[in-house]
Amino acid sequence: MSTEEELLRLVAKGDRAAFEQLYRRTAPWLTVRLRRRCADDQLVAEVLQETYLAVWRAAGGFAGAAADGSAVGWLWTIAARRLVDAFRRRAREATPLATAPIAPAAEDDALSEVVGDEVGVALSRLAPELRQVLHAMVVDGLTVRETATLLGVPEGTVKTRARRARIAMREALS
Amino acid sequence: MTWHASPSLLRGYRTKDPTLRADAVWAVEVHLETCADCRAGLAAEVGPDPLLDQVWAALDLDHEPAPAPRRRWRWLATWATPAMVPWLATTALVTVIAFLADLVGSTSVSLALLLAPITPVAGVAAAWARGIDPAHEIVAATPRAGLYLILRRTLAVLVVLIPLLALTTWTSPVRWLLPCLVFTVATLALGGFVGVRRAAAGLLAAWSVFVVAPSLLIASPPAVLEPSALVGWAAALLLCATVVRLRADVYMRLDR
Repeated sequence: MSTEEELLRLVAKGDRAAFEQLYRRTAPWLTVRLRRRCADDQLVAEVLQETYLAVWRAAGGFAGAAADGSAVGWLWTIAARRLVDAFRRRAREATPLATAPIAPAAEDDALSEVVGDEVGVALSRLAPELRQVLHAMVVDGLTVRETATLLGVPEGTVKTRARRARIAMREALS
Repeated sequence: MTWHASPSLLRGYRTKDPTLRADAVWAVEVHLETCADCRAGLAAEVGPDPLLDQVWAALDLDHEPAPAPRRRWRWLATWATPAMVPWLATTALVTVIAFLADLVGSTSVSLALLLAPITPVAGVAAAWARGIDPAHEIVAATPRAGLYLILRRTLAVLVVLIPLLALTTWTSPVRWLLPCLVFTVATLALGGFVGVRRAAAGLLAAWSVFVVAPSLLIASPPAVLEPSALVGWAAALLLCATVVRLRADVYMRLDR
């Protein structure tokens, strides 16, 4: 079983079977992750198609394991930016996941297999809109402008929320 | 990776379960990016999805050209630009011709030795010069531009030329190595003031007129290339290096 990096190297040489295998292996995960950020299935389908087309065309441009990068991370980078582009194109129609206030489950240790340390607790106690911004900027690796497009808020709001989130985390961890 | 996401966690992640703690979501998401087994677990959890088949059918690879191939020598571009190559080649050619002239014995003084110190000047000028490099303006605008980039390219020039000089001059490197370095750094230092091309041209002219020509006319090796003059060369190197270091931000701007 070859890794995704090896598959990507084969794709760069034009190997269609490798491309199909890469698709079968990564598309389910990518779909789930995209669906968490976008409620519109049609938009998700568009973004998936654009992403894999970009992967086909630019597979040779992936710096590879030599540059200490993962193929899957590279894939997500492309997909995240395609998602932001799609949002920009359909400015109002595709609404992101509504921010449902998380039930106060900080003391809930039913999910005890999760990291239960201070960072985790501090993160859970963060207000949802601040956490969303932090999630988009840290986990998805988006810029301020892209985060603003993804969440449908102005850039200034993103910056303010990011700052407040960092201050809150710093206080909670100190 | 000792921690893996449990199936219930993956299910909660997939179904956007609101009772899932935020740090759990964060942890799962970051973990999935690195763990192929958990991705496969997630895929098994999701099951067959018509969306995936729809997208696959829409991906029409027949009308797509083959992907652009990986550029094998991409790392080379980080050390030298294509514009530098003709200058390096010409310099190498001149060095070889001087070597052959010495073999034939046409001059009583070693021509290769006389020309050795100024050999890298042309290459250094090509590394950071407005007229020579068509990409100069673009490179100057990048964050990478600056002293680090120009020193990197200079190092490439020296790495190419110094072994060649070692082969073509018979005298020990003691005579010409330090002057070689001095001229390299002096081109950069002076280039920060008047532009690298003019500095290079000036240094080449000065060396030719004041050292090479008299030495050929008088038919004796020049005094500046004697081992006793090394102290002076070392002082010059220190001076030029200091100037370059102090004026480092000049190399982040366009060449004059």
